[in-house]
Amino acid sequence: MDENRLKWFLITPTVIILLFWVIYPLLWSLGLSFYNYSVMQAFAAKPTFVGIQNYLDVLSDPVTWSRFQVTARFVVLAVSVEFVIGFILALLLIEEFRGKRIIITTILIPMMAAPIAIGVFFRFVLDETFGVTTYFLSLFGLGFKWYTPTNVIPSVVLVDAWMWSPFMMLIILAGLTAVPKYLYEAADIDRASWWMKFRYITVPTIKPILAIALLFRTMDAFKLFDLIFILTDGGPGGASETISLHLYRIAFQYFYTGKGSALAYVLLVIIIVLSNIYVRFLTRRPVETFQSSETIVEV
Amino acid sequence: MARVSLENVTKKTGALCPVFGFTLEVKDKEFTTLLGPSGSGKTTVLRLVAGLERLDSGHIYIDDSVADDLTPADRDVAMVFQTYALYPHLSVYRNLASPLEARKMPKTEIDRDVKEVADILRISHLLNKMPIHLSGGEMQRVAIGRAIIRRPKVFLFDEPLTNLDAKLRVHMRAELKRLQRDIGQTTLYATHDEVEAMTMSDRIAVMRRGKIEQYDSPSVIYNNPQNYFVASFIGTPPMNFIDCSYLERDGKAYLDAASFSIDVSDLSQTLKERGSDSEMILGIRPSDVSVNREPVTHSSIETEVYVLEPMGSMAILDLNVAGKIFKVRVPKHFKARTGERVWITFTRERMHVFDKKTGRTII
Amino acid sequence: MRRSNKKTILRTIRFVMIALATIVFVFPIYWMFVTSFKTRVDMFAMPPKWVFTPTLENYMDVFLKVHYTIYGLTPTPTDFDRFLFNSVLISLSSVALSVGFGTLAAYSFSRFELKGKDTWLFFILSTRMLPPIAVLVPMFLMYRTLGLMNTHIGLILLYTMFNLSFAVWMMKGFIDEIPKELEEAAMIDGYSRIRAFIKATLPQALTGMAATAVFCLITSWNEFAFAYVTSGFESRTVPVSLARIRGESGINWGLITASEVIYLMPVIIFTFLMQRYLLRGVTFGTIKK
Repeated sequence: MDENRLKWFLITPTVIILLFWVIYPLLWSLGLSFYNYSVMQAFAAKPTFVGIQNYLDVLSDPVTWSRFQVTARFVVLAVSVEFVIGFILALLLIEEFRGKRIIITTILIPMMAAPIAIGVFFRFVLDETFGVTTYFLSLFGLGFKWYTPTNVIPSVVLVDAWMWSPFMMLIILAGLTAVPKYLYEAADIDRASWWMKFRYITVPTIKPILAIALLFRTMDAFKLFDLIFILTDGGPGGASETISLHLYRIAFQYFYTGKGSALAYVLLVIIIVLSNIYVRFLTRRPVETFQSSETIVEV
Repeated sequence: MARVSLENVTKKTGALCPVFGFTLEVKDKEFTTLLGPSGSGKTTVLRLVAGLERLDSGHIYIDDSVADDLTPADRDVAMVFQTYALYPHLSVYRNLASPLEARKMPKTEIDRDVKEVADILRISHLLNKMPIHLSGGEMQRVAIGRAIIRRPKVFLFDEPLTNLDAKLRVHMRAELKRLQRDIGQTTLYATHDEVEAMTMSDRIAVMRRGKIEQYDSPSVIYNNPQNYFVASFIGTPPMNFIDCSYLERDGKAYLDAASFSIDVSDLSQTLKERGSDSEMILGIRPSDVSVNREPVTHSSIETEVYVLEPMGSMAILDLNVAGKIFKVRVPKHFKARTGERVWITFTRERMHVFDKKTGRTII
Repeated sequence: MRRSNKKTILRTIRFVMIALATIVFVFPIYWMFVTSFKTRVDMFAMPPKWVFTPTLENYMDVFLKVHYTIYGLTPTPTDFDRFLFNSVLISLSSVALSVGFGTLAAYSFSRFELKGKDTWLFFILSTRMLPPIAVLVPMFLMYRTLGLMNTHIGLILLYTMFNLSFAVWMMKGFIDEIPKELEEAAMIDGYSRIRAFIKATLPQALTGMAATAVFCLITSWNEFAFAYVTSGFESRTVPVSLARIRGESGINWGLITASEVIYLMPVIIFTFLMQRYLLRGVTFGTIKK
């Protein structure tokens, strides 16, 4: 087969699958978002065109906004905690030692487990009466009810951080190891303190990597569903109902399919904006920017 | 008959080193070298001949038939890459057998040919090894073996000696040349090393920025370079160049450099005709200059010794001529001290004069 | 002398902290593991029992349930093996498809000039960024219309879609690293482009494909939302079966933890197998260690 046709032929299956399973449903639901349609009534009532009414309803509903707030609270808390823990872990693990790779791989296990399974299990672990965390906290004299309106989000953050801090650690570690050693050595000769080295060599060099890690984790945290679904189901009383869960409820519990599509699109736009920024950072080949950062260093 | 000719070939799109209006005719069984600095397009030409790149315009003929649209497999050429490109997951035997397996030859014949080629290249003891366990020289010989095993019409070599250490390179130069003579196929060889080009080729095509500067036998290229670039590229140590101006005075013609003048009255006709203006460059090879402690002719020039570089079998004397370093070949027992005054004389017949603006040779 | 003392102290602190961190991150998994071997009495004991006599009854419960029939107490198989089978079938198939198609596409992107290549790549990458929830609604409708609800093929295609973008990006990174001279040498030897790819490039790409496959496998293995929404009984995967305890008050934790341990085992094994490629997989192959 002629090369010109071959190269298109090779990407055809991929493109077809993606077109059908991504573009097509997205277009469909876009159309749907302009209709007052409910799956339950599929055979009964005819869907009526309501223009952007669904969008207006969703965006003006105070419940929607409170869900966004919940989500924001969760994302900010989770990403910050994971970032800090990840950074500390990375700092601890920069130097080589025997078994380093095993340790790193072990720490990464939480990330690889199914969120749903983790969620289920943590209901057992966090339980007030027989959970292991309750026991540990009682050793410090702290009682802890996790399923309360104030405590529920931090509890979810706890589980999420347990799962994802290793991810942050991995990326930050990669960034730290990629800093050229000779920069530190030159600084040592100039008798720079570790703080100066950190501030003028490490930080500028790993900034792009940190940006990637933060963006990616933020995007993911925003999409959070599995964990919340099984751990709290949005409770108690909506205190932990994130926007994804809320969407699920609208579309699959109350079956306001039209409205659900509208909300889904709003979410989609947000995610697209975030991921655009992310991809821009990604494809800028962060590892190569290390070369140009040399000029920034003034120790 | 396996002539290779490129006719006005241009490749610009997507090429790191483009080629423009490239025309070359390699005779049957000839060893032609494409010589030029990095980026001059030599690899591009090879890849065009091999069929790995598509040309934008022009034609390529292999064996007198148009090869423009043929796939590499159909062109019956063989190529040795700079990185050897051996299949890392296959043994040496399988690497050698690959071209024959592609043509679906029977196993017994393949076996025979592989052993034969391994014998010629003295790699029979390596047949069961994997490329990763071979030295650079061994890998190269396997790559060559893979190329010769099916007796293609044309051999293409892309800087095959560059990755070898110096001693091995010298050895392989002779080996390759001998091999080519024995096998007797048309060969196109790309390199930036002028010594390789000079020692191995029947003809050299000096390339710069995608164009041919000169295509001649090594001796012609050495003795009659057509322009400044070719003259400066060939020869170790390289030719000496002095900027000068042509002027006429008292009925005589001179080439006037800052610190000296040379009488060129007998050449004035040619200089005036062929030169675009009076700015010229005088070129003379280090081996065409004689050094004495006193002036020999009235054209001798007084210079000061900069440094003496002994090279074992001979020495190079660096002289300060009007602020520039001028190299002269001297016998190995020559003695000189820095700062000494000596006189140099040019061998007139071996002098070259270049037009400064166009770079073309006038004499 | 003082300098090396200080260093040793710092080193010790470091190691202690690393040990603590490892314990913290491993503990819940360990606890899950341990709980699955406890009897019902033991697992609810407070303070928690660290030493106990292990039992396999939970694991047996996973696969067999015992109930009364006219013949007395008879064990009948639970449906877990069906769910496990579904998970395995769906994950493996979708991974095969996505890595297969993905590698082909990656090869094309890596070696050829394509009009609008960057746009294509961006498009493919962005499909990975979609929040599953946003796509859930239209997907649900589409599946209902097309009759793909509660089918294996429905989930297989869905997961293939998820994994394709990842597979293309990872494999492109791997293939970019394979020198194209290899397939060029094969083409000069006399092979067509496709045969050259198979003979020269593919063997080199196999490790990359394995790593990509493992990551795709883990993603499909763990997927929940879509499976929950589109599967009925026949196509149910293990994660969905786990979630069905939601809202139940008397949860059989022994059963749950045992199921989870079973489900987690392959993932742990694969994670250790793919240690070298972890960083690459997690960052889409752009940052390489």
